[in-house]
Amino acid sequence: MKSFILACIAALVLAFGAAFVLDQIQKSAQAAFSSSVSARV
Amino acid sequence: MTNVVRQAHFLLKILALLFVFAVATPGLAQQRNSDNSVNPTASSVKEDQLLQQLKIINGRGTIPDAKSYNIEQPAGRDWRQFHEVTLPWIATIAILLMLVVLVGFYLSRGMVKIEGGRSGRLVVRFNEFERAIHWMTATCFIILAISGLNITFGRQLLLPLLGADAFASWSQFAKYAHNYLSFPFTIGVVLIFLIWAGGNIPNSIDVNWLKRGGGIVGDDHPPAERFNAGQKVIYWIVVGGGTLSAVTGYLLMFPFYATDIAGMQTAQMIHGIVGALFVAAMLAHIYIGTIGMEGAFEAMGSGTVDENWAKQHHSLWLEKEISERGRDMPDSRHAATPAE
Repeated sequence: MKSFILACIAALVLAFGAAFVLDQIQKSAQAAFSSSVSARV
Repeated sequence: MTNVVRQAHFLLKILALLFVFAVATPGLAQQRNSDNSVNPTASSVKEDQLLQQLKIINGRGTIPDAKSYNIEQPAGRDWRQFHEVTLPWIATIAILLMLVVLVGFYLSRGMVKIEGGRSGRLVVRFNEFERAIHWMTATCFIILAISGLNITFGRQLLLPLLGADAFASWSQFAKYAHNYLSFPFTIGVVLIFLIWAGGNIPNSIDVNWLKRGGGIVGDDHPPAERFNAGQKVIYWIVVGGGTLSAVTGYLLMFPFYATDIAGMQTAQMIHGIVGALFVAAMLAHIYIGTIGMEGAFEAMGSGTVDENWAKQHHSLWLEKEISERGRDMPDSRHAATPAE
């Protein structure tokens, strides 16, 4: 039971770390419909 | 004279018909260039003709991503056919077939019992680190499998039950879980490879084990080392399937970083097929580690197994352990097997 709980905690920590990193790397889909020059419609 | 007039009238009618035909179908004249290739700027051109020659139909757009201007390409049709029709069939057949085999096997064979009952003496099979790695990978796999199957079957199976709003919320949550939990799963697969690779190299003992049915088919219990041939098969399925799933999954998670649209379509096809077969294989693993074999779950539960269980399924390993560490050594924590 202890190893299972440790496993779940480790998985959650790694998953939240991955979420943080992915948020830094991946762009929002909104970026595909906007431009630094002008608004796209 | 009358005949000449009649012939002249007939010829005039033929010429008039030819003229009307040529004027009424200008597209026919414009669709092909002089070298018989399709003229894409013709006033009338068939979509299929363009697609066959150009292999892609592009439009115009205003958003920055020019790749979005692709309207149609034959590979896209093939891919759509695969993930809408072929993949669901592959997954259905693989998973249902495995379930039928396991239910049939359980009904005919029942649980594999510990012969002679429990001895009461315990042998350590997995230390805490190994069990934590196993459960981290297993827990992630179950969530990855459910969220992955939701992509293939959710619209047909869950949408009618949940309704559009609830299904959309669930699918969004499942998608995030699938992406984020892939990282601990991948780390788990790498660690599983590293800590158990040494004992999972196939050898002649495995050939003998397989020839004698491995103690699953029939009542024979062939000798096995720390990992028997069945466990080695599961091990390499996890390592190979996990690696393929991870590589193809990350190609999809980071679109256009490493490959183009064709590469991502191929990656999705491999990801889908491997995922479906992976789920089917893990059903067998879960079966034999729980209701299929008495005493097997304890190896990953508490980390210890009964000595009679070890004698029955891993006699060579047990002999080695006893000769090296003696019986009932409470501190004899050492490496053990990944799968029962």
